[in-house]
Amino acid sequence: MSEESHAAKKRRMNGRSSQLESQPSFLDDLEMLQETNQATKVDDPSLLWARPTLPKLNPSTDALIFQQIEADEYMSSATQTPVVRFFGITETGNSVICHVTGFLPYFYVPAPVGFKLDNITAFKDALERGIEKGFNTIVKIEWKLKESIYGYHGGEQSPFLKVTLKDPKNIAAAKRAIERGFSFEGFPDFTAQTYESNLAYLLRFMIDCKVTGANWIELPSGTYKSREDRNSNAQINVEISYEKIISHQPEGDWSKIAPLRIMSFDIECAGRKGIFPEAKIDPVIQIATMVTVQGESKPFIRNVMVLNTCSHIVGTHTMSFDKEEKLLEAWSDFVRAVDPDVVIGYNTSNFDFPYLLDRARHLGVLKFPFLGRLNDVRTEAKDTKFSSKAYGNRENKTINMEGRLQLDMLQVMQRDYKLRSYTLNSVCAQFLGEQKEDVHHSIITELQNGNEETRRRLAIYCLKDAYLPQRLMDKLMCLINYIEMARVTGVPFNYLLARGQQIKVVSQLYRKAFEKDFVIPAVNSQGTEDQYEGATVIEPRKGYYDVPIATLDFASLYPSIMMAHNLCYTTLLTGGIIQKYNLVKDVDYVVTPNNDAFVTANRRKGVLPIILEDLLSARKRAKADLKKETDPFKRAVLDGRQLALKISANSVYGFTGATVGKLPCLQISSSVTSYGRVMIEQTKQAVESKYTIENGYEHTAEVIYGDTDSVMVKFGVKDLKKAMELGREAAEHVTKQFIRPINLEFEKVYYPYLLINKKRYAGLYWTNPDKYDKMDTKGIETVRRDNCRLVQNVIDTCLRKILIDKDVIGAQDYTKQIIADLLQNKIDMAQLVITKALSKTDYANKQAHVELAERMKIRDAGSAPALGDRVAYVIIKGGKGTAAYDKSEDPLYVLEKNIPIDTMYYLDNQLSNPLLRIFEPILGERAKSLLSGDHTRTIQVSTPSIGGLMKFAVRTATCLGCKTPLKNGESAVCVNCKGRAPELYQKQQTIVNNLEVRFSRLWTQCQRCQGSLHQEVLCTSKDCPIFYMRKKVQKEIQDSSATLDRFLDW
Amino acid sequence: MLEARLQTGALLKKLLEAIKELITDANFDCSDNGIALQAMDNSHVALVALLLRHDGFEPYRCDRSLALGVNLLSLSKVLRCAGNDDIITLKADDTADVLSLTFENTDNDRISEYELKLMDIDSEHLGIPDTQYDAVVSMSSAEFMRICKDLQVLSDSVQIDVTKEGVKFAAKGELGSGAVTLKQSANVDKEDDATLIELQQNVSLNFSLKYLVNFTKATPLSTRVTLSMSGEVPLLVEYKMEAGYVRYYLAPKIGEDN
Repeated sequence: MSEESHAAKKRRMNGRSSQLESQPSFLDDLEMLQETNQATKVDDPSLLWARPTLPKLNPSTDALIFQQIEADEYMSSATQTPVVRFFGITETGNSVICHVTGFLPYFYVPAPVGFKLDNITAFKDALERGIEKGFNTIVKIEWKLKESIYGYHGGEQSPFLKVTLKDPKNIAAAKRAIERGFSFEGFPDFTAQTYESNLAYLLRFMIDCKVTGANWIELPSGTYKSREDRNSNAQINVEISYEKIISHQPEGDWSKIAPLRIMSFDIECAGRKGIFPEAKIDPVIQIATMVTVQGESKPFIRNVMVLNTCSHIVGTHTMSFDKEEKLLEAWSDFVRAVDPDVVIGYNTSNFDFPYLLDRARHLGVLKFPFLGRLNDVRTEAKDTKFSSKAYGNRENKTINMEGRLQLDMLQVMQRDYKLRSYTLNSVCAQFLGEQKEDVHHSIITELQNGNEETRRRLAIYCLKDAYLPQRLMDKLMCLINYIEMARVTGVPFNYLLARGQQIKVVSQLYRKAFEKDFVIPAVNSQGTEDQYEGATVIEPRKGYYDVPIATLDFASLYPSIMMAHNLCYTTLLTGGIIQKYNLVKDVDYVVTPNNDAFVTANRRKGVLPIILEDLLSARKRAKADLKKETDPFKRAVLDGRQLALKISANSVYGFTGATVGKLPCLQISSSVTSYGRVMIEQTKQAVESKYTIENGYEHTAEVIYGDTDSVMVKFGVKDLKKAMELGREAAEHVTKQFIRPINLEFEKVYYPYLLINKKRYAGLYWTNPDKYDKMDTKGIETVRRDNCRLVQNVIDTCLRKILIDKDVIGAQDYTKQIIADLLQNKIDMAQLVITKALSKTDYANKQAHVELAERMKIRDAGSAPALGDRVAYVIIKGGKGTAAYDKSEDPLYVLEKNIPIDTMYYLDNQLSNPLLRIFEPILGERAKSLLSGDHTRTIQVSTPSIGGLMKFAVRTATCLGCKTPLKNGESAVCVNCKGRAPELYQKQQTIVNNLEVRFSRLWTQCQRCQGSLHQEVLCTSKDCPIFYMRKKVQKEIQDSSATLDRFLDW
Repeated sequence: MLEARLQTGALLKKLLEAIKELITDANFDCSDNGIALQAMDNSHVALVALLLRHDGFEPYRCDRSLALGVNLLSLSKVLRCAGNDDIITLKADDTADVLSLTFENTDNDRISEYELKLMDIDSEHLGIPDTQYDAVVSMSSAEFMRICKDLQVLSDSVQIDVTKEGVKFAAKGELGSGAVTLKQSANVDKEDDATLIELQQNVSLNFSLKYLVNFTKATPLSTRVTLSMSGEVPLLVEYKMEAGYVRYYLAPKIGEDN
């Protein structure tokens, strides 16, 4: 296990999408918002924009307390020293900018042997010369006694030189100079490793002043002074020396969150057919914005700015502009007036903001690109590459908006959740349980060029897209969880999305080291390919278990190993030190299964174990508080907190193992995993040797599977309650064999349990014997995106039938029915659609979705998928030997042209393996019979309306009764079936009727979703199952009505 | 009730070989006329029409029209169990869900009986109407097979030009080009090898070689093959048997697009 798997432990997703439930339309939502906001109903909605008026503030008598949300640094032109600038919000919602002066950057160098206080001046001069471009930059050099964090040195401190500089930019130059080496009086070739020289100035400041991300800061009365600042439009502008500020730790009352203003927005632009909008050409036609105050449930500002006229929309401030320049200018004025603290949206970083900025530049709207809190800093989009083991490589644009937090919900989703698709539509279907109308960008232009009613239509669509990110954020608690993460780990909020995992551990490590007088070496990390052995997996005994399987888990396994065995940088021993201090094995130090030595806690307690203990005890406190707390908002904060603490504790181990890291120490990480491996084996031994028939138990227990931090035990008892008792007892028994705080917990029982393979299983999850909690699956095809939905649904239903209903026969019957339906073309097309993003045009190999996009471009460039779109396709039948990539086809085209779907492909390439995987442990060899047999013998072959021969072929009608070709004069049935004609007519009539009912239902559903019952449905959402159903039924009605017509002359 | 007894079982085996590459499942339409099958291949470019007239069987009985849905691969597997000289009898009840096959070997009095589960195939019945063709070439089926296979080495498609002098098959590809010309000949000695052309108008058409090669799987059924062509109309490749035929229709390649 490495760093990424911790992060990859994504949070469980709650709530499956429930699309078919009818939902109130978005217009109703807007109306409701208006009603609930009666108080804020004013004639001119723009009066609501400004922040609350500022209560009078007297620096000499009033303390100023605010929550800082962002910080940056700048060089004061007067003193030529760095100043930290906090952006914050007071409890009354007033904006604050606080300049903190006087804090200077520094780093450490170990004093060479023989170095005396007298040598400092010579050293200073020599170093000054060594720093390129540095002029009088060294402020002072002090003699300090410190200890390096790396390795145990008998607990003795050694002399270090603390070099304090004026300009943070010169630290790197000083570091290089020292590493390169120079000479000074008495020391001809001095060179050394530097310490703490690779820490950013801002983080250094926050660590030394004990400021954590997004915490509360107090400026006592009389310590600060107001200051005029023409460069910012903050309501309060103050200056203070760094020694005077009081930083409140985010606990107790200080865990509150200021009334932050959250702005969510979306833009629409009028693209041209077939081309992704380009800022140089295509105009921005609408911008919808919602502003909400953190902690309130409804947005208090809802507006939309529209190019050209637009009919009134209930509960919304609609503004019309005749010129695009005016629209952009008005929006930027609006942003500055509302002064949001948090800016959210969906894909705003990579699309909306860059587009607006480019467009404004193109149109020459000079006022536009000043969207931050500072009037003199232009907002720009910069390309950044972000690469992390946990999150992969991403290319992003970053938008600077000083003093405002940005939370692009798309990026949050991609980081924190593993989903089939990340379109706003499918994310909402997943988490909010509702579909969203998806208007293809080629239609947007048409709507814009229509009349004020069609523009209103578009505006509603745009408003919804602006509102959804806000609702998504509220539902998933993103803002609160991120704020808590910033507080727990101590990094600024904006680091969380922009940086990886390591910086969070770095921040905690430095904080603890600062407290304990340790200094941290600045390691020039080189990535090595060294791999160490990971976690162990006990070979699974595959099968279907119809008895309770108890699961024993080590709670926070890796952190508890580090604590129990005192594994840390500061406790790492080398052979030399052991000899030097005559350390005794197992008394003064232990040797890990990986053959590394660490001193025990009674010699010295490690820093990492202390950090972990702090984190875990803080988590315990948060969880205890959570139990007591009743206020839903405070509960959310506490829950976010305990989660952040857990994630942080788990990431410490990964940090030590990251070879491309700030401070890798493979001795620690490999010792941790080696302990883990030994412990899993030991647990297995302990359980299997104790619970035997010889020892008086009913059955002999068997460990059927184990992975990393858990073992699955079959105690053999049939009774759930009994199994839980045994599980609890066994966990206690085993825990005794290990050093605290290692703790084996009995967590759950799986009953029944289907063990398919390593990391692949499913089971019904019980924590109390009366009612199961849920169905739990791991590693089973449910989210893989190159599978069609059918696979996911079939597997899910089968597992439900097997595990919950314990109806294996039912599951088999269901599977057969689905396969029969598939072969008869009765499966809904949406179930068969596979989607893939068209991320680049030059793939090395031919791929189905790329080929299809090419073909669609030839057919109609306007509606063909553009770069970045997701291509939806189904696999159609092709001649023998046709490559799979040539068999992909646009689902809509398939529906229209009635092209036969390659049902065998779906059976053989999509369903077969996942189905066999779950049925083989149960049925053994017989599982294969699911895929052939009588249910596969009824098929339907549709006749396409395309293909070289179709122009020439003539259809001979076949008898509706027996399918033989009809002769002249027969229209519906053959001579032999004449008697059955009334029955067949009736049957056909019923089919048509049912289809008509179905169609009108689907149509209404779509109209409801678009929020208008008297307009045509425009939506072409490829993620929405209803879309395909609607299209298919439409087609089927035509066909079956035609068939019905054949009875006319009967 | 269908009962059809075929004296030379090998015929049925060869028939299956001739079509099973193109079609996976199809209905055998049985009527008092005989047994027919019409189906399009998976890529909708070719169509197979097959007829075994009732007089090819002895005896033949079909009380009412029947559509027997068959998976051709399964049927050909069963037919592999029949000897080349066996007499094959096909039987099916009016409402049956199985097709029974009996293989009789007259030499050693061996009788084997098989039952094949039928499928319920819901598909449309398609046919190509008869037309007057501009050019009809009648030639040796073995020769046609050889030409197709030879030219496939060079290209995916073949151009067929028919004039009153003869017929020319030409292919052009990456590694070169090739052409085979057969002169109109009335070879009286070897009737089977003669190339005969009936021409209303010169034609020049392009076809996919992959399909043509597939069609030549029917070569064992007949020593002769006829190619009937007109501009922008599907090519008809016909193998005639004593009591029936196998016809393949192939859409012409138009330009680069197929």
